[in-house]
Amino acid sequence: MSEVRILGIETSCDETAAAVVADGRRILSNVVASQADLHARYGGVFPEVASRAHIEAAVPVIQEALDRARTTWEDLAAIAVTVGPGLVGSLLVGVNLAKGLALGRGLPLIPVNHLEAHIYANWLESDEGSPPDFTFPVLTLIVSGGHTELLLMRGHGEYRYLGGTLDDAAGEAFDKVGRLLGLPYPGGPSIEKAAARGNPARFRLPRAWLEGTYDFSFSGLKTAVARLIQQRDIPGPWVPDLAAAFQEAVVDVLATKTVAAAQEYGATAILLSGGVSANQALRAAVRRRAAVPVYFPPPALCTDNAAMVAACGYFRYCAGVRAGWDLDVEPDLRLA
Amino acid sequence: MSPILGPDSLEVLSRSAEQTHRVGIRLGRLLQGGQVVCLEGPLGVGKTVLARGIGTGWGATLPVLSPSFVLIREHRRAADRQRLLHVDFYRLQDPREAWSLGLEDWLEAPDAVVVVEWPERALEALPPQRLWVRLEFANGDRRRLVFTAQGAVYHSLLQALRRAVFGG
Repeated sequence: MSEVRILGIETSCDETAAAVVADGRRILSNVVASQADLHARYGGVFPEVASRAHIEAAVPVIQEALDRARTTWEDLAAIAVTVGPGLVGSLLVGVNLAKGLALGRGLPLIPVNHLEAHIYANWLESDEGSPPDFTFPVLTLIVSGGHTELLLMRGHGEYRYLGGTLDDAAGEAFDKVGRLLGLPYPGGPSIEKAAARGNPARFRLPRAWLEGTYDFSFSGLKTAVARLIQQRDIPGPWVPDLAAAFQEAVVDVLATKTVAAAQEYGATAILLSGGVSANQALRAAVRRRAAVPVYFPPPALCTDNAAMVAACGYFRYCAGVRAGWDLDVEPDLRLA
Repeated sequence: MSPILGPDSLEVLSRSAEQTHRVGIRLGRLLQGGQVVCLEGPLGVGKTVLARGIGTGWGATLPVLSPSFVLIREHRRAADRQRLLHVDFYRLQDPREAWSLGLEDWLEAPDAVVVVEWPERALEALPPQRLWVRLEFANGDRRRLVFTAQGAVYHSLLQALRRAVFGG
């Protein structure tokens, strides 16, 4: 049986990424252009936002992904590209490039939802092991800078939305609280590091339980941290303590709701994904509380990358999904 | 900094996030295509809470979430083909990056209301006429909301908001 190689392209936000994945599982290459070596190679830092940066980076990144995978255009079965959600200007670069390449090389084009791609990072093999064939339904929590969503996955491409944030995404709360605490960007890893030295019991922070729903709210928590910092009379090394209390509050709500949803819907496993799923405290809390196995990608596959796009693209390819040449970006695309 | 109170400005003291949300609803009901609302204030003061209220009052079909990460969220409503653009300059490193969001297509367009958080990070990308809202922490959980009409067209909006919030 011959192997199906998919080229994945991801430009939905800050990262320009391309990857080649075999059979939806085996990463042959995975290139992300916000990596330091590429910054150095192109003689500067990519602007945070400008889609121009994607335009400049995209072609070399794709070529590098093919080279590292020792893959030629003839070896590819299809091109998968993120069509949304994300920044319209950034998405357009990836989608138009993918269209041009697919047309020029005579390859099928597969549209991929960025959120769904995050989930499929759990299918990828890594140094940390080879994921099993999951038995549906599985419960997935996507937690990143832009999203916090709980979904029941009943099959490939079949989702039921259970809940999500009503204000700030969890990753956004980490970044903003990191800034309030004077910790370096990005806030997620900084808070996790500071929290490791802190005593979470020192501060009582609110948790928005939103009883009876699987929704989340982190904006009140952020405000509570802001108010505590304004009280400048707190003695001692309070930054690690406040970081620990904040992290515990976020993790507590995320883990409790995720585990409860898995139980209510009879999920056989819990899959974490998105940048915040790299947080060790979150991983540990969900594992400790869950009655079913808990999976999460290695840290490099939690943040935005194209291997997850190629993996997701593979399953859509197998399901017969093909995009027409009128494929457009969908900045506000949802999963269910 | 004490607020300048006069025909060009309006000050509201909010006791809770719920009250800030309700003020937003009242403002949202009044907004018309072409108008620009800027929300300035520190982290955690309630800019997104106010914006969520504006979205509700305007009639957005989906809840207004924080746009900090995605920089821009486009909302629709059932009533007509108007758009509500919810923009956030929080992550901008350079004011020039605001142009890459394609904002010029929407600002002061007759079919779009634009609400901007962290507007001070890219003032040059915004039109000089706008409703400026400054949110400040006050005692306890309270917030001071200072609405200022910048440009003649916003005077009537401010008057209508004054009536909607305080009556009379």
